[in-house]
Amino acid sequence: MVIEVSSLTKTYGKKNSAFKALDDVSFTVPDGASVAIVGKSGSGKSTLMHAMSGLDRPEAGQVIIDGVDILKLKNKAVDRFRSEKIGFIFQAFFVQANETSFDNVALPLEISNVSAKERKQRVDEALKTVGLDDKTKQKARNLSGGQKQRLAIARAIVNKPSIIFADEPTGNLDSATGEIIEDLLFGLNKTGGSTLIIVTHDADLASKCDIQVYIKDGKIDRIDNNVTTQPFASPTEEGAEL
Amino acid sequence: MKTVDIARRAVRGLRNAKARTILTSLAIAVGAFTITVSLAAGEGARQYADKLIGSNVNPSALFIVKDKSIFEGGGRQAGLQVYDQNIGTTSTGLTLKQMTQADVDILKARDDIENVVPTYAPTVRYMQFGDNDKKFTGQLAAYDPTILSEAAFGSLPVMGKDIDDTQAVVPESFATVLVDQKVIKSPQELVGKTITMTAVSSKSLASGEQLAQAYATGGQAAVEALTVPETKEFTFMVSALTKKSATALASTSAIQIPASEARAISEYTTLGTDGYQKYVGATALVKDGNDPAAVKDKLLQKEFYAQTAEDLQGVVFAVVNTLQGIVLGFGIVALIASVFGIINTQYISVLERTREIGLMKALGMRGKSVSRLFQFEAAWIGFLGGIIGTIIAVAAGLALNPWLTEKLGIGEGNYILIFQPIPIIIMIVALMLIAMLAGWFPARKAAKLDPIEALRTE
Ligand SMILES: Nc1ncnc2c1ncn2[C@@H]1O[C@H](COP(=O)(O)OP(=O)(O)OP(=O)(O)O)[C@@H](O)[C@H]1O
Ligand SMILES: [Mg+2]
Repeated sequence: MVIEVSSLTKTYGKKNSAFKALDDVSFTVPDGASVAIVGKSGSGKSTLMHAMSGLDRPEAGQVIIDGVDILKLKNKAVDRFRSEKIGFIFQAFFVQANETSFDNVALPLEISNVSAKERKQRVDEALKTVGLDDKTKQKARNLSGGQKQRLAIARAIVNKPSIIFADEPTGNLDSATGEIIEDLLFGLNKTGGSTLIIVTHDADLASKCDIQVYIKDGKIDRIDNNVTTQPFASPTEEGAEL
Repeated sequence: MKTVDIARRAVRGLRNAKARTILTSLAIAVGAFTITVSLAAGEGARQYADKLIGSNVNPSALFIVKDKSIFEGGGRQAGLQVYDQNIGTTSTGLTLKQMTQADVDILKARDDIENVVPTYAPTVRYMQFGDNDKKFTGQLAAYDPTILSEAAFGSLPVMGKDIDDTQAVVPESFATVLVDQKVIKSPQELVGKTITMTAVSSKSLASGEQLAQAYATGGQAAVEALTVPETKEFTFMVSALTKKSATALASTSAIQIPASEARAISEYTTLGTDGYQKYVGATALVKDGNDPAAVKDKLLQKEFYAQTAEDLQGVVFAVVNTLQGIVLGFGIVALIASVFGIINTQYISVLERTREIGLMKALGMRGKSVSRLFQFEAAWIGFLGGIIGTIIAVAAGLALNPWLTEKLGIGEGNYILIFQPIPIIIMIVALMLIAMLAGWFPARKAAKLDPIEALRTE
């Protein structure tokens, strides 16, 4: 899915205390690409990700996904869009500690009304992908940090999303575990064909992505493209070259 | 999100906060317990009253009076009133418009009622049993064939038939007194014995003029002779002893004599006074083919106030319903208190689970579904409370019923707490609805939560 962000502006607070977290941000993400949003803490990375996924509603600008401006959709349609097309991996894991691994991963499927039978099959598949198939019935609180993050990934991929947003997916992990998570994410991007958007301040991780969007004080600082000299190459070529 | 999945998540949510869930539902259980008990007690009392009236009162019986205040909770306080010889004053100072013989004759002449018997108030100075000289006093009443009594010894006529002219029916408790007083050796010995009642006429009271004349002619002795009251003896044979029965309404604290004799005694003792041939009311039977309520209406046009057997039932039921209403009120107060408990618990739950709610909303869960999740949790709390309350109420009720039956003396096989499944089910469903209503405010808060804000909270 092609994502076109244009003139996105988000202001927190009013009048005197107004603060522009996003200031006229525009860029395009080709279908199936992996994008790193890089910047210092407080530069507006999470705010941008929230706006792009329809969680937030900035006061100006457009987020056009497959030709539809999701900022103009009704709440119900946006909720539906998120539940069907998007997978989230949040900055903290945000797994439900009291629930089993299975129930954690099943949540997005329940939200999008998938039948119990199909749910079972898809949850098992997702848990297998992240290597947690032996922890299906374990409560999430009993998992280690890395396992929790893998559980969050399983939850993000279980509804086969077209776009995966990952906010600091490796921020809380040691480098070895971080690498496993990175491999998982890029694997899904390459083989599953889903667009991957990673928020990070880790330069190493950023360099593994096709595109790097550098943000500074809510503005685009620069955009790097590892793959092709033409930043806005056609999506098919992009996929083929990988 | 599907309703089943929401309900399942609601159950899991409650299971993760067991202590809180149980404590909150206990508050509801108190209300459920009170309501269940009041429903059961009301049902038990109604069934008992029904049985009592159904088996004792002839459905075609009427009680007719001239003063409707009797049916409205007693007579008026007397105060100073213009003298009317038809108004009697009771010992407690209440005035009643009494029924005269003319009224009784009017009733007797009607063709829609029969067996018109005024409520004679026979009184005698004393009575003696068998050949024994010991004198006793006791309440007398006319035998009422419309009310069924149970005989401990001897035999009673079937309902609707009067006893013979010379017969008397004595409460078993009277016989016990006679045994204590060594008049007889055992209660059943009384059956077949005679009762001699000595009544005193009031007309024997001489005027002052007569007394003066007597003194002038015969001195002190003549005056004494003149003031010795005229007396008359009435003799009966005990035909039966009535049992004190849990399901009998009959006034078991009076010796019952035939209506004709009751009339003779009361007329003998009141002749020459205002009380002569004055009655509180009369009993009658509605003739076959007439509706008691219709007869009652017709009597009303003639200024007679009547109470049917059904009215009597209504009076008893009204009392039962009032008492039940009071207990029910306590239950409802307890429920109102528990509603605030639910609101409070669910608010805390929403606060505690801000991140969980934020996550669900971020993943695209509709606000409506989030709201439903919290309302379902509240409903489950209501269900749990209802179940706990009813189980305790039913268990305690079934265990206490025999003891209550004995304490209240309502007769073996009669239970004052009768639990019925349908009202209990309705109550539990109502509790779930109330709980859902209480959960509405916290649920709305959860539904309106901004997912970004929620995810930002640590
Ligand atoms: N609700 C809010 N009200 C006011 N200011 C806000 C609000 N949310 C975010 N901000 C501000 O917007 C700016 C961007 O925040 P954002 O969370 O996007 O930063 P970030 O780049 O993700 O930082 P980090 O790497 O630390 O996660 C910050 O300066 C933050 O203080
Ligand atoms: Mg952030």
